[in-house]
Amino acid sequence: MRNSFIQKFLGNKIAWLFIGSIGVVLCATLLGVFISSVKFPIATILHIIAEKTFGLGWLADVPKNEELIIWNIRVPRVLLAFLVGASLSIAGAAFQGLLRNPLADPYTIGVSSGSALGAVTVLFFQYTIWGLGGYTLPVVAIICGFLTLFVVFGLVRLSSRSLAIETIILAGIIVGAFVGALTSLMIALGDRDAMAQIIYWLYGSVAMRGWSHVQLIIPFLIIGAIILLAHSRELNALALGEEAADHIGVNVKRGKVFILIGASLLTGSAVAVSGSIGFVGLVVPHLVRLMTGPNHRNVLPLSMLLGGAFLVLADLLARTMIAPKELPIGVITALIGAPVFAFLLIRDRMGRGESR
Amino acid sequence: MITVEHLAGGYEKKPILRDLHFEIQKGEFFALLGPNGSGKTTLFKLITGQLPIVSGSILLDGKPMTQLSKLEKARKVAVLAQESQVTFDFTVEEIVSLGRYPHQTGMFKRLSSEDRHVIDTVMSVTRIEHFRNVQFRTLSGGEKQRVLLAKALAQEPEILLLDEPTNHLDIKHTFQILNMLKEWQRTKSLTIFAILHDLNVASLYADRVALLHRGSFLEVGDVNILRKESQLKKVYEVDVKTQAHPIVAKPQLLMTPSLEEADHSTPFLKSFTVNRTETSVELRFNNSLRTLSNAPNSQGIQWLKHFCLMNQPFHENDYEFLKAWMSARGIPAEQALGVGFHGNLMTTSIVEQQVNGVDVALLLHIGEAIHMFVFIDATVNDQTLVDFYMAATEAKMTACQQAGIHLELDRTDCLAIAASQRHYNNHKTETAISRTQIEHHVLATLAIALQQHVGKPTVVKEKDGVINE
Repeated sequence: MRNSFIQKFLGNKIAWLFIGSIGVVLCATLLGVFISSVKFPIATILHIIAEKTFGLGWLADVPKNEELIIWNIRVPRVLLAFLVGASLSIAGAAFQGLLRNPLADPYTIGVSSGSALGAVTVLFFQYTIWGLGGYTLPVVAIICGFLTLFVVFGLVRLSSRSLAIETIILAGIIVGAFVGALTSLMIALGDRDAMAQIIYWLYGSVAMRGWSHVQLIIPFLIIGAIILLAHSRELNALALGEEAADHIGVNVKRGKVFILIGASLLTGSAVAVSGSIGFVGLVVPHLVRLMTGPNHRNVLPLSMLLGGAFLVLADLLARTMIAPKELPIGVITALIGAPVFAFLLIRDRMGRGESR
Repeated sequence: MITVEHLAGGYEKKPILRDLHFEIQKGEFFALLGPNGSGKTTLFKLITGQLPIVSGSILLDGKPMTQLSKLEKARKVAVLAQESQVTFDFTVEEIVSLGRYPHQTGMFKRLSSEDRHVIDTVMSVTRIEHFRNVQFRTLSGGEKQRVLLAKALAQEPEILLLDEPTNHLDIKHTFQILNMLKEWQRTKSLTIFAILHDLNVASLYADRVALLHRGSFLEVGDVNILRKESQLKKVYEVDVKTQAHPIVAKPQLLMTPSLEEADHSTPFLKSFTVNRTETSVELRFNNSLRTLSNAPNSQGIQWLKHFCLMNQPFHENDYEFLKAWMSARGIPAEQALGVGFHGNLMTTSIVEQQVNGVDVALLLHIGEAIHMFVFIDATVNDQTLVDFYMAATEAKMTACQQAGIHLELDRTDCLAIAASQRHYNNHKTETAISRTQIEHHVLATLAIALQQHVGKPTVVKEKDGVINE
């Protein structure tokens, strides 16, 4: 009796967390769309969104430029922030689970460095691939991210037949360092303008990307998230260690490969469209685990929702704090994320001291 | 259930196991014994599939293990290893639920009501329900191991593989875990294959044991193969003596350390002091003696240092009283042989003599009962100890007969044979003194004492021994 009561209570708690998170996402998105340095009436904004998505506008004469600002600049910006935040957070949760290391983040295994290098080559050499146009940078970045993943995999395979976790981390660090050095080399060789542009891109931003980038990231987010969500049980089992996971029937090697691919898809595409925005993928999964416990069946989807909301709000701060100028969004995430993380660390230790 | 044929395997260049054959029956507890490096873990990993088989095969119900998919295998075989680390704060229930992994099917792979039922059952068997929502990380070693056992049982396996599951546990938790396993084995006819470190624990719990030595089996059979001391010595390179467990019909092993030899410099007859008081005589030895006796506290065979005769007219059989009396006089009761009597302490004598070059001391009390403590400076095994015991009894009967004393049945006589066991490092198997020699010595000494006693109970002197006053 008591047990089923507890289970029901827990089930409800998780359900409420999901409902709450969706609420947070909606609020964050609306705030992101409503608030900006250029003020518009809320009714106008709602009208434009309703008109554009469902053709259900009720206002007659909305100026063309307002429509342009809202629909072509602000909405995709908020959406992109959400998608990037969701990608990085779910990838971070998966990497932490896979590498059994709470300090892992989407950038641990070097895929992001590869994407960044790809983007930097585009900025440095100023080339466009025929037929891609404005897509050149993100596409090159994603391709480079994948090449990096293959290099990391190759290195791991050559040095450890069983894809040992330690080897994956080490290979990621080695490749990441090498690729990072190439990026630095290009910055050093570039002229002032290129340098500023590259550095600004590396800080990460979701500004001025438009619908093209939103469309670009969505398929990767869907595929990556489905792969990861389908492996939530395997991620749980891996927490016992690989041998123990093998003993309960988990195909550890296949699971690891799929999780790595899924998480890398998400990371690579997120970096390609927005640069390397730090701390989201590290902090959000930890926050979620505090609320739900470590079960990846809940951690992964909730990280996605709350990570998205977090980045929307961070972007909102980035563009309103010193408006009309903007702060790099990575600065905001680190400024919020680092203290939160420190607080969690201290609280965790104190909590453990109390209980045992 | 499990059949292993011509199995060889190990690490790449150097196969650790050679040509192993064995079969494990359904419902059997099979323990694998052997020192570190003998190949136990290699065999274990070959069975779990973590190491590749070089040649030969492992069959599960007649089907090669390697042909089973991971999930099929996990539905049949569960593993409980040594303590394991769990990342993140999973609760006990979440950990146990992972054991249902191989049974979960369908699109969403949620826990079914059957899964929940199994989880509840195994948690109640392993007695961990009360911390189902507690974080695994905060549990003690014994509790953690119980949770992992529950996880393994939640797989509903037919075979459970144990890799030193009680390695980090104290005896309380070791026995707790093994009792649970044994219970599950009996009720669900679970087959258990275990690597165990502790030979005595293996003897108590296993149905069959295998002794692995340098990659091949030296012996496979029931636990009585542990009685083969020479084989254990060959495998473990430690002096091992087997003993019968006092309650369970299983052998238990005693290991002998190679210590510095005990103090040999003091002659045996100088290695004890005699404390006489008005009501008692106590012999206090420097070193403990291995003593066989029928005194109420002696538990048959014990190592004792203090031998005490107490004149307590109203409490001669009240052992609790005698114990308190000895403790009050600084004699540790658990290292003492205390015999109460009523009568005259003057009839107590100590005779010291060399028999066949062996120092022998004899404490005699002749009163209503005849109490005899025989102290021998020799290494004596249990069988010889019993032999000497009989010799002394027979000598007493004969001496009484010769002295014309009729011994009634229903006597309360106490007899102790105590051996110094010095020289144990010399591996002497033959004792320097024989049963007949003991018999004659006791007979002669007792005859004189009885003569004195029948004539006039007083202090006696003997020609080739010294009788202390």
